[in-house]
Amino acid sequence: MRRRAVALLMAALMTAGLAATGLTGCGDEGGGRESVRLMVWSPQGDQSKDAGEWLQTCCNAFAEEHPEYDITFVYGVADEASSAGQVSQDAEASADVFLYANDNLTTMTDADALVKFGGIYREEIEKTNSETSLASVMKDGEVYGVPFAINTWFMFYDKSVFTEEDVKNLDTMLEKGVVAFPFTNSWYLPAFYFGNGCTLFGDGTDASKGADFGGEKAQEVTDYLIDLEANPNFRIDDLGSGLAGLRDGSINAIFSGSWDAAAVKEALGDNMGVAALPTYTLNGEEKQMYSYAGTKAVGVNAQSKNMLPAVQLAIFLGNEYSQRLHYELESVVPTHTALLDDPELLSDEVVAAINETFNNTSILQPNLAEMANCWTPVENMGKGIRNGSITHENSAEQTEMMNETMNSDGI
Amino acid sequence: MKKEKMHSAKTKRFINNTIVHTVLGILAVVWVFPIVWVILTSFRAEKGSYVSTFLPQSCTLDNYIKLFTDTTILDFPKMFTNTLVIAIFSCILSTFYVLAASYCLSRLRFKMRKPYMNMAMILGLFPGFMSMIAVYFILKALGMTEGNLIKVALVLVYSGGAALGFQIAKGFFDTIPFAVDEAALLDGCTRWQIFTKITLPLSKPIVIYTTLTAFMGLWLDFIFAKVICRANSDQYTIAIGLWKMLEKEYIDSWYTCFAAGAVLISIPIAALFLYMQRYYVDGLSGAVKG
Repeated sequence: MRRRAVALLMAALMTAGLAATGLTGCGDEGGGRESVRLMVWSPQGDQSKDAGEWLQTCCNAFAEEHPEYDITFVYGVADEASSAGQVSQDAEASADVFLYANDNLTTMTDADALVKFGGIYREEIEKTNSETSLASVMKDGEVYGVPFAINTWFMFYDKSVFTEEDVKNLDTMLEKGVVAFPFTNSWYLPAFYFGNGCTLFGDGTDASKGADFGGEKAQEVTDYLIDLEANPNFRIDDLGSGLAGLRDGSINAIFSGSWDAAAVKEALGDNMGVAALPTYTLNGEEKQMYSYAGTKAVGVNAQSKNMLPAVQLAIFLGNEYSQRLHYELESVVPTHTALLDDPELLSDEVVAAINETFNNTSILQPNLAEMANCWTPVENMGKGIRNGSITHENSAEQTEMMNETMNSDGI
Repeated sequence: MKKEKMHSAKTKRFINNTIVHTVLGILAVVWVFPIVWVILTSFRAEKGSYVSTFLPQSCTLDNYIKLFTDTTILDFPKMFTNTLVIAIFSCILSTFYVLAASYCLSRLRFKMRKPYMNMAMILGLFPGFMSMIAVYFILKALGMTEGNLIKVALVLVYSGGAALGFQIAKGFFDTIPFAVDEAALLDGCTRWQIFTKITLPLSKPIVIYTTLTAFMGLWLDFIFAKVICRANSDQYTIAIGLWKMLEKEYIDSWYTCFAAGAVLISIPIAALFLYMQRYYVDGLSGAVKG
């Protein structure tokens, strides 16, 4: 109860602050500069000299834009995946502004550690993001972050082996070359199930609907996967074996994300092809694979002592300038609508592929707490097929079992 | 007849030896195998975390060079010095704590002696990281979770509980005859002098053992360092650094460097062990005569 009160107070403070900036905008130049200490967390790459110091550059630009503050920046290192854990453990000693992956949203809202954006700030976020990327940082109608990057996986392939026509269907690809897929990783494997009508939590937000990975539609997919695993041209990508295969030429296509783009480019050179997810042929019908997609977003700590500058900095780190810089320095794929319409960026095939994946061949990864139960059963399905314990004979009951465990809280 | 018997005894011994040596050989391979693999990987020139061959296709020193020159993302030299500083200080402190506590419990008689030993026994039953969160919040309240004070905090964390692990050293001190102490007391030694001038020189093996375990424990510790360092990357220890190298974004380009780092961190431990090993030899020889 008390926490909630604090949150309300924060919201009130923010609006008050909003009014204050509006006022100070006109009068009072120089003189009473407010001294502010802002702690900012980002991955090491964003702060490294070799990669152009994205964070420092953006923060300094922000300070220049806001002469009313005398800001001391304190930088810390926490990548998008681990920052949520740190912040929810001890929000008071955590950064004012940090980057997080949107699937960790619930971890932090449960700990009341994340600020809700309101007023002009919310409008700004709504204005500059597509519906999907906006939805990725929303919970119960509130906006909890400023999206700045798309986070999903797609396909890299060798252009000398596959044509652009081939890469539209996985089974066509398997006839022509060797394809590796992270079969035992539950961030990837559900792609096949989503293709045949399986769903998670309705449209991804309704916990009461549960996981629907059962029935005939799921069993068909399990049967397809068993055959896929047995295909001599199919390899299971595990512990980096896919990338190693691309290097020595034994594998011609892998599924991964932008973090591997540089390594793939080095391995394939001009033959590097990038594409959104292919379809697969199930009982003669073409089914689209769907990946989990999410965003990386800038969040503001609810315990921050400098709420207004922190919120403004978060908005700044997600604006067009910062996202463009992020792309130029580190090839981070932006979410800003203005940038995604930019023909210069779209000529980068990785950006184009991610964008297409995000818009057409992905589902938003649910950020409900119940999602935690959905990882291991799918992973076990992949492992079971790999070691031969799941066969056509028992695929129906094994699929039901997977569905059951995904819907239970049992440990 | 006699000759035949000798002959068969010889054969028997030969067979026995063969079996024993084969078993030992297999075990040695099993134990050494992973270490050899790490060392080979650290010299591997091919990139990436996955290889299809056991032996590297080509060798290079670049992994070691990169570890020390490419410091913008993961600053290995800094982590190495951080860990070394923390390790040296807390090694000295905790060795002193353990030896002092053991000496008191072995030689002095005071009211709290038994209760203390019981308490230590019971506390020792709980894993140390159970108190981790509490330790973190205490350190935070003291303002020691930011900047260079993190090093001090880690030294305190690693050495603070050391006095509870007195059992082995106390057992060793118990074997040194009281007569030696009494003789020294009669000659006018203080307790402190007995401890430093008589007990310690007589107990070199256990001093060495304590130092080694104290050093290794924190040299390899990950969990406390991770909890206390949080986002302060300039304070990271090597355990955290090595773990970072295996994250999704870095694993492909840092994997072989990870192996090189693993080889490098074993050097201080190996050096310390080799240097101290010779003191293991004498121990008690020539303590009490007659």
